[in-house]
Amino acid sequence: MLRFIRKRALASLISLIGLLVMVFFLSRLTGDPASLFLPVEASAEMKAEFRALHGLDQPLLVQFGQYVGNVVTGDLGESLRKARPALDVVLEAFTWTLWLAVITMTLVTVCAIVVGSLAAFRTGGFFDRFSSMLSLIGASVPDFWLAIVAIVIFAIQLSWLPTSGTGTLTHWILPICVLFVRPFGIIVQVVRGSMISALSSAYVKTARAKGVKSGPIIFVHALRNAMLPVITVIGDQAASLLNGAVVIETIFGFPGVGKLMIDSILQRDFNVVLAAILVTAFAIFLMNLVIDLAYALLDPRIRY
Amino acid sequence: MKTSHLFGAVLGSVIAFGAGIAPVHAASTDIKIVLPEEADLLEPCMATRSNIGRVIMENVSETLTELDVRTKQGVMPRLAEKWEQTGDGAWRFHLRQGVKFSDGKAFGAKDVKYSFDRIFSDKNVCESRRYFGGMKFDVKVVDDNTIDFKVDPVQPILPLLLSLVTIVPEGTPLEFVREPVGTGPYKLSNWTPGQQIVLDARDDYWGKKPAVTKATYVFRADPAVRAAMVQAGEADLAPSISQVEATNEKTDFSYLDSETVYLRIDGNIAPLNDVRVRKALNLAIDRQAFLGTLVPQDAVLATALVPPTTLGWNPDVKVFPYDPDQAKKLLEEAKAAGVPVDTPITVVARTANFPNVTEIMEAVQAQLQEVGFKIDLKFVEVAEHEVYYSKPFKDGRGPIIVAAMHDNSKGDPSFTMFFKYDSKGTQSGYADPKVDDLIARASAATGDERAKLWSQLIAYVHDDLVADVLLFHMVGYSRVSERLDFKPSIATNGMLQLSEIGFKN
Amino acid sequence: MTMAIQSTHTPKETVAEEPSAIVRMARMLWADKFALCAAIFLVFVIVMAIIGPTWLDELATKQNLRGRNLAPFMFDREWYMWLGADALGRPLWPRIIVATQNTMMVAAGAVVISAIIGTLLGLIAGFASERVSQVIMRLADVIMSFPSLLVAVIVLYILGSSILNLMLVLAITRIPVYLRTTRAEVLEIRQRMFVQAARVMGASSKRILFRHILPVVIPTLTTLMTLDFAYVMLAESALSFLGIGIQPPEITWGLMISQGRQYLTNAWWLSFWPGLAIILTTLSLNLLSNWLRIALDPVQRWRLEMKGPKHG
Repeated sequence: MLRFIRKRALASLISLIGLLVMVFFLSRLTGDPASLFLPVEASAEMKAEFRALHGLDQPLLVQFGQYVGNVVTGDLGESLRKARPALDVVLEAFTWTLWLAVITMTLVTVCAIVVGSLAAFRTGGFFDRFSSMLSLIGASVPDFWLAIVAIVIFAIQLSWLPTSGTGTLTHWILPICVLFVRPFGIIVQVVRGSMISALSSAYVKTARAKGVKSGPIIFVHALRNAMLPVITVIGDQAASLLNGAVVIETIFGFPGVGKLMIDSILQRDFNVVLAAILVTAFAIFLMNLVIDLAYALLDPRIRY
Repeated sequence: MKTSHLFGAVLGSVIAFGAGIAPVHAASTDIKIVLPEEADLLEPCMATRSNIGRVIMENVSETLTELDVRTKQGVMPRLAEKWEQTGDGAWRFHLRQGVKFSDGKAFGAKDVKYSFDRIFSDKNVCESRRYFGGMKFDVKVVDDNTIDFKVDPVQPILPLLLSLVTIVPEGTPLEFVREPVGTGPYKLSNWTPGQQIVLDARDDYWGKKPAVTKATYVFRADPAVRAAMVQAGEADLAPSISQVEATNEKTDFSYLDSETVYLRIDGNIAPLNDVRVRKALNLAIDRQAFLGTLVPQDAVLATALVPPTTLGWNPDVKVFPYDPDQAKKLLEEAKAAGVPVDTPITVVARTANFPNVTEIMEAVQAQLQEVGFKIDLKFVEVAEHEVYYSKPFKDGRGPIIVAAMHDNSKGDPSFTMFFKYDSKGTQSGYADPKVDDLIARASAATGDERAKLWSQLIAYVHDDLVADVLLFHMVGYSRVSERLDFKPSIATNGMLQLSEIGFKN
Repeated sequence: MTMAIQSTHTPKETVAEEPSAIVRMARMLWADKFALCAAIFLVFVIVMAIIGPTWLDELATKQNLRGRNLAPFMFDREWYMWLGADALGRPLWPRIIVATQNTMMVAAGAVVISAIIGTLLGLIAGFASERVSQVIMRLADVIMSFPSLLVAVIVLYILGSSILNLMLVLAITRIPVYLRTTRAEVLEIRQRMFVQAARVMGASSKRILFRHILPVVIPTLTTLMTLDFAYVMLAESALSFLGIGIQPPEITWGLMISQGRQYLTNAWWLSFWPGLAIILTTLSLNLLSNWLRIALDPVQRWRLEMKGPKHG
């Protein structure tokens, strides 16, 4: 186990470095930050000065060398636009995103597993049809619809909740509820499908034939077996939340990493983009490691 | 049964939470303002950028002069009490006395000189430097309250230019700062990036004490949410909301926002190098049909790239009529003369550049195609747009038209004309000696002569050169809480003076 | 296994095997009314995707500034105005139909490409040596943590914006989920009895992968694919909104949604109808895939065959 984790950490480190190298060079192919930072009327000299000030006038390889040198000492550079360390900017935003993702995914996981397995238990029944319909609609509704409609209903018409922003616990309710819908819809379907296969698989049949009457025992066994694809998909959904829920952050004014990433990409604030990717990638790598360990935990036959 | 209990519990907690929302208007002179975009810096020398200027310009950081746009009195004193031009074209400014920075230091001529030097330092790239391109400054401190500016070439509009230079205390770091110190009526008391910026009124401000004691700025990118926040009482002022949200007469006001939408033509490339083709472009567009539909009813059809409040704006220049038949005829004439009018023209526009940009450009495309143009419409994001809009233009490019928006709220065309029409201008698609000459002469002239030369240039560019397709002077909408006494102005886009905000009752 | 089931039927049916397979499928479809509706809807969508642009393009692009944001359900007007009109007065019904082709190309293209590549890599990762598996899995980690928006900006900035490029961008970002799902299943299945047995009996790796393992993985993958359809269409909408996706005058459902966004509070129909089209398509695909899963599963097929004659 420890050996596995150690090996995995090494491999992840290598791919993290690969990721950074790729982003470093590719993002610099997408345009000149100077002409985005300065107004269109700025002279060519001013743009040149901006580039010189931020070392963007150097050959790419030299820039890369300097960047690597700094990263080794723990310095991820300054934001071109915010005049503060890129890592600070990113960590600040990532804290919000992390909380949002953790709370939402916990709720989603619990609810989706319950609803999905109940639906699978009586395939084609009313509950199955109803929950499938709802979850599929949830999975295909544009999230900004939900967000705006939720604001209109709960913040303006009913005045129960604040429209947007941060500050109190109540500010979290609408974003989490809106964010909940899509992953919930997807995971319910995956749980349902997976459970149907598991319940019809040979050993559950055998157990039933052997006279194991107790529903819960069969249920738990099947669930355990059905979990492999489910946690994979949960991981996928969690990863997309960790990369930032752009629409939700934009509409609700939530200072998360998604909006930061979009703004930085559109403004070509390379250091922030790199730092943001580094932080989110680290979180995602860690999560995938946990998921892989969970496979082994769920199914003792899987060994690393 | 169980589920209904659960539902009840959830509902109960939601209501309980709802009851816990703090009342927004704790003190009646505190206000909350919701802006579309957060300031990434609060750097005084970047205050000419709207997302920064709206927070700090004249609130935290002041300038020597300011342009009065409400009563149209022109350049007014701010930190300078009066100024005069000396014989050799230099300017002498007499500064206000007894002014203190928010860190307690006294304001004097040395600070003005330092602020100027800081703008030109190579340790930063201050945006305001762009207004002084090609000028040589010799700034001399005469005494504590007097300062001389000697500029080469002579700048007749120096007092106006100085309304763009914010004054920082001597010793401010040359690198960009995030905590501005200024002489303004407010000081920065809290900035939580991503969440809010708080300004508090200063007790030791030199001028009249403003009614607003504390202003909290929050940021929401979605216009519907900004409007909703004022409606729900969570904010008092949303300086820009979208036209479709502006439905409440009591709270929603429109204002000419100094932005002008136009189609920049690259006149170097056939068939756009032919004046008949450019005229046909202008005649093919039914500008009036846009008003009240895709463009707000109060928008003004443009005959110049500068809004009507600008010096030298020419009332005799008339908007091109909508005349598709004439356009077709001109195109045929051009074709007969061997102009390749069948070459597809690429129209480049930027997503989210201005409200309804997609629809407006699709309609423009349809109208141009109606008279026989071949138009490829291309939407790009901001970085790519810049590549098409500004020089150096690509070699071997085809005929390109760029839809863009230009902002000049500063009252003088010099902030526009050189860049957009001079042969050396960064966004200019022309090299016309007469234009260059007029711009050079107008820039150096003063008073009525200056106005006359700008008028001439505007008429020449519009009627003879037919340099571009001018469309609309746009209108912005703001939602103002009913407890506030505030009307937005043409300056609101880039500057929001809290001292102009009062309270009803 | 299929043979075993069929042999229990009367010889008569076995003789007429070709038509009977179709008839039986049709019967089973008839038995599940939801799936039937779904199938009809999808056929309609496919037909529209093929003929839509040539049939209705003119109607769909005809602007009328006086009829902006015309409300839906005005049945006294022409049929194509029944769903209302957009911000340029273009009727929404024909626009949705014309947009079907691009939408389906992007969505189906992206989903199919990512599913095929992802599944193949997943099979390999689950079966190959540890080293190869490590490389593939870490590659998946990299793609997973590469923000899709950045991929989009890079690809579209360097290669230019086109339907094909957009399809590629979306496909790349969706590979990891198929890859990881397949691999996880493979890890589990390859330990099962029948696979072990096949191996002992000397079946080649390829044969084990495609004959024994793939059939077990496919149901989960189908569920994912149908859901990804919606995901891809909405992701494309978000990219359009940011100015790096499909741009007018091309149309897709996603683009229509993002264009209607600003009118949400006073002309809801602009983004509602294309949104509904996405929901209905996803719903239909899912219902049909659920039906297909039962219809193709010899163990569960009886459910539909039992119902068949009763209703039919």
